[in-house]
Amino acid sequence: MNVRTLKDRTAKGLMLTMTVVAILTVVAIAVGLYLKSRPVLDSQSLSSLLFGSQWRPLKGQFGFLPFLMGTVWVTLLAIAFALPISLFTAIYITEYARPMVKRFVFPVLDILAALPSVVYGVWGILVVVPWISNHVAPHYVDFSTGYTVLAAGIVLGIMVLPLLVSLFIEVFSSVPAELREASLSLGATRWQTALRVVLRRSLSGILASSVLAVSRAMGETIAVLMVCGCVVGLPHGLLDACYPIPALIANNYGEMLSIPLYESALMFAALILFVVVLIFNLLSRIVLYRIEKQNE
Amino acid sequence: MIEVKKLNVHIGDNHILKDVDLLFPERSITCIVGPSGCGKSTLLRTLNRLIDSTEGVRIDGQVLVDGEDIIDSQSDITELRRRIGLVSQRPCPLPMSIYDNVAYGCRINRMFKKRRELVVHVRQCLRAVGLLDEIKGRMHTPASRLSIGQQQRLCLARSLAVHPDYILADEATSALDPISSKTVEDLFVSLKDRYSIIMVTHTLRQALRIADNVVFMYLGEIIETGPASQVFNNPQKELTQKYLSGAFS
Amino acid sequence: MNNKKNKVSVGKRVKEFIAKLLMWVSMAVVFVFVVSVLWTIFSKGIKAMSWDMVSKLPGGGFYIGKEGGFLNAIVGSLMIVGASTLLGLIVSVPVVFFLNVYLTKGSRLAYVARLAFDVLFGVPSIVYGAFGFTLMIWFGLRTSLLGGIIVITLLIIPIFIRTMDEASRNFPKGILDACLSLGATRWETLKVVVRQIAPGIATATLLSVGRAIGDAASVMFTAGYTDSIPTSLSQPAATLPLAVFFQLSSPIPEVVDRAYAAALVLTAIVLVLSIAGRFITARFSRNKVS
Repeated sequence: MNVRTLKDRTAKGLMLTMTVVAILTVVAIAVGLYLKSRPVLDSQSLSSLLFGSQWRPLKGQFGFLPFLMGTVWVTLLAIAFALPISLFTAIYITEYARPMVKRFVFPVLDILAALPSVVYGVWGILVVVPWISNHVAPHYVDFSTGYTVLAAGIVLGIMVLPLLVSLFIEVFSSVPAELREASLSLGATRWQTALRVVLRRSLSGILASSVLAVSRAMGETIAVLMVCGCVVGLPHGLLDACYPIPALIANNYGEMLSIPLYESALMFAALILFVVVLIFNLLSRIVLYRIEKQNE
Repeated sequence: MIEVKKLNVHIGDNHILKDVDLLFPERSITCIVGPSGCGKSTLLRTLNRLIDSTEGVRIDGQVLVDGEDIIDSQSDITELRRRIGLVSQRPCPLPMSIYDNVAYGCRINRMFKKRRELVVHVRQCLRAVGLLDEIKGRMHTPASRLSIGQQQRLCLARSLAVHPDYILADEATSALDPISSKTVEDLFVSLKDRYSIIMVTHTLRQALRIADNVVFMYLGEIIETGPASQVFNNPQKELTQKYLSGAFS
Repeated sequence: MNNKKNKVSVGKRVKEFIAKLLMWVSMAVVFVFVVSVLWTIFSKGIKAMSWDMVSKLPGGGFYIGKEGGFLNAIVGSLMIVGASTLLGLIVSVPVVFFLNVYLTKGSRLAYVARLAFDVLFGVPSIVYGAFGFTLMIWFGLRTSLLGGIIVITLLIIPIFIRTMDEASRNFPKGILDACLSLGATRWETLKVVVRQIAPGIATATLLSVGRAIGDAASVMFTAGYTDSIPTSLSQPAATLPLAVFFQLSSPIPEVVDRAYAAALVLTAIVLVLSIAGRFITARFSRNKVS
């Protein structure tokens, strides 16, 4: 065997190792977080952790329900807000827009996608929170600071917009042009074609993209933390404060070493987040891969 | 009757169709032949304005469908497209059941008030292309499960369902096996006493078999046009003679 | 018959119009949000901005001191991002090369690897932060520059790999075959491949830097925050996003101003990166949506 072949083999072995290690990171994260959350898992049952609503770290009571519900509320609101906007935008871009418009829209989406979470947080505090406090809340309740489920939902909704739009564009673009032409040549308008042919064929892709966006929204931390109010309790409406899981983890890291089991509880929170995001991601990516393959 | 007058089509910097003047007679089959890239498909796509969705396209001239100019008119483009059916090169069933494929256009155009009427109509269209017996009991299964030849006939049935006056076919048999190809070809022949059929074809032999009129195009220009017997047996232009003798394709 | 047809046609057109209207409204909403965010950050930031902000350390503690700027955060961010980007490149270029040159198209390993990186891409940064934190405790590290670098590297590797992998997929395999048929080993084709996907690598780097510099949740646990510039890997380091986050909640107006100015700097950096990325993609490869 000559030197060149040896080099090739060595490089191959090294790269294979690197690839496998990178894949194993997924497992390592799960195992690491699990080991860290063992103490709190041993101290009480899984169901009381997940469905208990008592959160008293000093007494060793860790009921995650308020935080889980906070995450659910905020995430659902964000998706409900972002889904119609991104669907219409993506349909416009793939079915109607001239290249000039695209050249203008893509950079705007790029900027939206590139802005850091903390910047959205600043914007939320300066614009969304006062707007809710002064203009929205007075119609429904006596007083609200503005730091609410609604504020977090709006900020988060805007943050997932560019992701949704670009995923939808990819899904819609995979619908063959012949299908659109077949529909048009039967006398359908563009909108009828978009609705009955393009959207219909893209249903699985739309679903997968939305699940992906949900998982992205669930993990978003700083922006949500800045506008959600951070009050432990079950939210009952859009104008209640809430406390989603990522905010819980980020907000309490400073004191977690001083209270027994607290660190473990926070790591358990991270584990919940990781597992849910992992499952959502796996499902939606596999569906999206299949669509991409069809396209080829 | 479709009449094309001084039609010029540019896409970007390319001059695709040059001063095209044509007359497509009614209730007959007109075959457009010529080497690939000569503008056959572009001409076809101009007739139902599907060309509109092409980037950087510019159209000058007139296309008169039953006397109405469709290039420059404010008339309803969707109504125009309903009247001009299209069968494309690859069969493309819509992502729905066989029944819904045929019913699609009828629903879009609100042709029937009662469901029963629609069912009868769909069955009629499927019978017209010889599919009804072949797919017994599978009306509501996805159209994508049909064989490719059956899919192409389904596409034809789908076009017929909206009562077009004209049918455009863009190399409609090129993706099919010889037997389904023959079936589809025979279908077109049987339809010509009720519809005006304009067909782009890649095989001269097919044109020989079924054409009543022939249009020969080369590099975006109409070289020769006339009744099939005349163009094939007694071509006037040297270019046509060369093409027919297989000097280029 | 004619009358009925007209009715259908009018109905169609009205629906088309409403649909178009909704689309325009959606696009306008997106546009308004972008403008609103940028306007808010710029108008607040420019008022607070001064030379001292970017050239001085905070005086008297970042949370209460009225003097100085946030040079600590700028330098800290640059250190972390620079080191992570370098480490990220070292890891991801070989992985991408391996996936595209050594593995065949239908390879099971390639499928699993791509899935894994897509999943890792989706893991929230707070989880990376928590995981990095457990790793650091494992190794007996405190919050430090090194911790920040490790976590940010983990965070951006999936971005690097996904973006470069996309770029390599459009890479004409014929060139590869040409090299191999000249007697090159696959390893020796690296030079050719890297040259071919260079714009992809550049875009990936810009994207990763953008994400790395803006991420707050992961460095919170691992890099910590400090008033000074770290002089060794084991000291904590301040970062720009945390400079915004911590100082914004201060009761002292001068400190809040520092937060606004830091937000402006951060936004400006990210915008420049984003525009540069667009430019490279538009200039050197086919136009693609990320």
